[in-house]
Amino acid sequence: MAEAVGKKTFVVTRFDPDRDEVPRQQAYEIPVQADWKVLDALNFIKDEVDASLSHRWSCRMAVCGSCGMMVNGEPRLSCKDPLSDYGDTVEIAPLANFPVIRDLVIEFEGFMEKLKSVKPWIIRAKELAAEDGPVNQKPSELEEFKQFSMCINCMLCYSACPVVANEPEFIGPAAIALGHRYSLDSRDEGAAERNEIFRGEGTVFSCSYANECSEVCPKNVDPAAAVNQAKFNAVIDWMTGLVIKRGGQG
Amino acid sequence: MRGLLLKLEPLIWLMFGQGLLIGTMLLTGWVLVAGLGVPLGVVPAEALSYERAHMLGSSPIGRVVLLGLIALPMWKGVHHIRHLCIDFGGAHRDAVVAPLLYLTASVGSLLAVVAVVRL
Amino acid sequence: MARYAHPKAMSSSKPARTRTAPPQLPDQFPFEGRYRAYTLFDATGILYLMLGFLALGTIWSLGSGEEAWKGVQIIYRSWVYVAFHALSLAAVIFVGIRFFGFFPKAQPPRIGPLKPPPQPVILAMLYVAWIGVAGAMTVILAGGIF
Repeated sequence: MAEAVGKKTFVVTRFDPDRDEVPRQQAYEIPVQADWKVLDALNFIKDEVDASLSHRWSCRMAVCGSCGMMVNGEPRLSCKDPLSDYGDTVEIAPLANFPVIRDLVIEFEGFMEKLKSVKPWIIRAKELAAEDGPVNQKPSELEEFKQFSMCINCMLCYSACPVVANEPEFIGPAAIALGHRYSLDSRDEGAAERNEIFRGEGTVFSCSYANECSEVCPKNVDPAAAVNQAKFNAVIDWMTGLVIKRGGQG
Repeated sequence: MRGLLLKLEPLIWLMFGQGLLIGTMLLTGWVLVAGLGVPLGVVPAEALSYERAHMLGSSPIGRVVLLGLIALPMWKGVHHIRHLCIDFGGAHRDAVVAPLLYLTASVGSLLAVVAVVRL
Repeated sequence: MARYAHPKAMSSSKPARTRTAPPQLPDQFPFEGRYRAYTLFDATGILYLMLGFLALGTIWSLGSGEEAWKGVQIIYRSWVYVAFHALSLAAVIFVGIRFFGFFPKAQPPRIGPLKPPPQPVILAMLYVAWIGVAGAMTVILAGGIF
């Protein structure tokens, strides 16, 4: 192992549902390496100091979205941030706005339900047969939605959003961005269906322009742009729906 | 009540959006002159004498501008106040607070129509 | 000290398999970091609502005759009203800068066959409109024309 370049103290929120009434904090002072990320420190703690510490991680290169947690009060991917960005004491907590299963492991079933609710697949009025050949898409058509397809479902945006914190029905940034991605796809014909979902119980209009989702997104998806574009489309769809009956009859 | 609010949400958002966009543009000049310039003496009081103010306000464009100046900020205001209440843990009260706020803006907007018509 | 989000924040429709700790609010919400500007942005709603009703009262007085209008002019000169309008001017400018900065990216990439202008152009158009409308109203109200 490379030589340590100093020590840092990690104040980690712990929660064992079998033992703890409420979450508590536990401090670990450990030697750190110059090239470590926050995740390396957590893995060191688990491997060398306290095997009971639970946290999710996988790719170690900010593409899988598994390692989201609060680092010094901000939702971050622990594999992305160099420890050198932080001072001698680093506070680590589970993602805000989520129920906590244990330690830094949050319950994300609610997130999966929100993702599914926006019908995140190509919707066609009539499915094409294989013999019809591929549906071609120009590069300019791809550009219209590509940014919103880069989401890695890390849930940092949900952790930062004040509306998610206070309105449980709100569909939320990543799910709306995903639905909007499909509505913008030239191959899709389901925008009207999604606009109804966006005007429904989890209404996109709950978004109050905090823009925190885009500030914390590690992939520059800019979900705030998606949510507010979705509002615009939902309104246009609503206005045209007042005049034109659904199904194209004038 | 939530169902009704959801149905009206696109319209409310449109009014809120115009309050943000047009309301902000209209309020800037109004606050500068009527709110600060004339009261502080930077702008001569004769600029907003009764005769001149009435002449400006009762013109067709004047009436439209005044209607926007009064009503649009109200919609921006109530929608943001609603979100402020929710942000501070008031989601459970939204079914009562939201209708009260939007009713306030609705009544204010109706009164705005009366106010500009009677000029 | 724990600060809790809505108890059902991000909850699933299915019951949890084990006891979970309740969701917590982001640490810096609502008054620290970037949330401060966001909370202020929402709070300007109070000023906007007051401005709307104040303008209503003012125009109502204008329609009630010269004596009523003169009464309004006197009220506006009080320090309370001047301070309110000074604060409101700051709020209106803050709202304009924040919202207009946000506006360009909120436009969909296409509405039917129509594409919006590039985002920097939309931003420039907004500021031109703002300065134009505010400038015109200032000049007109201050007696510069008409």
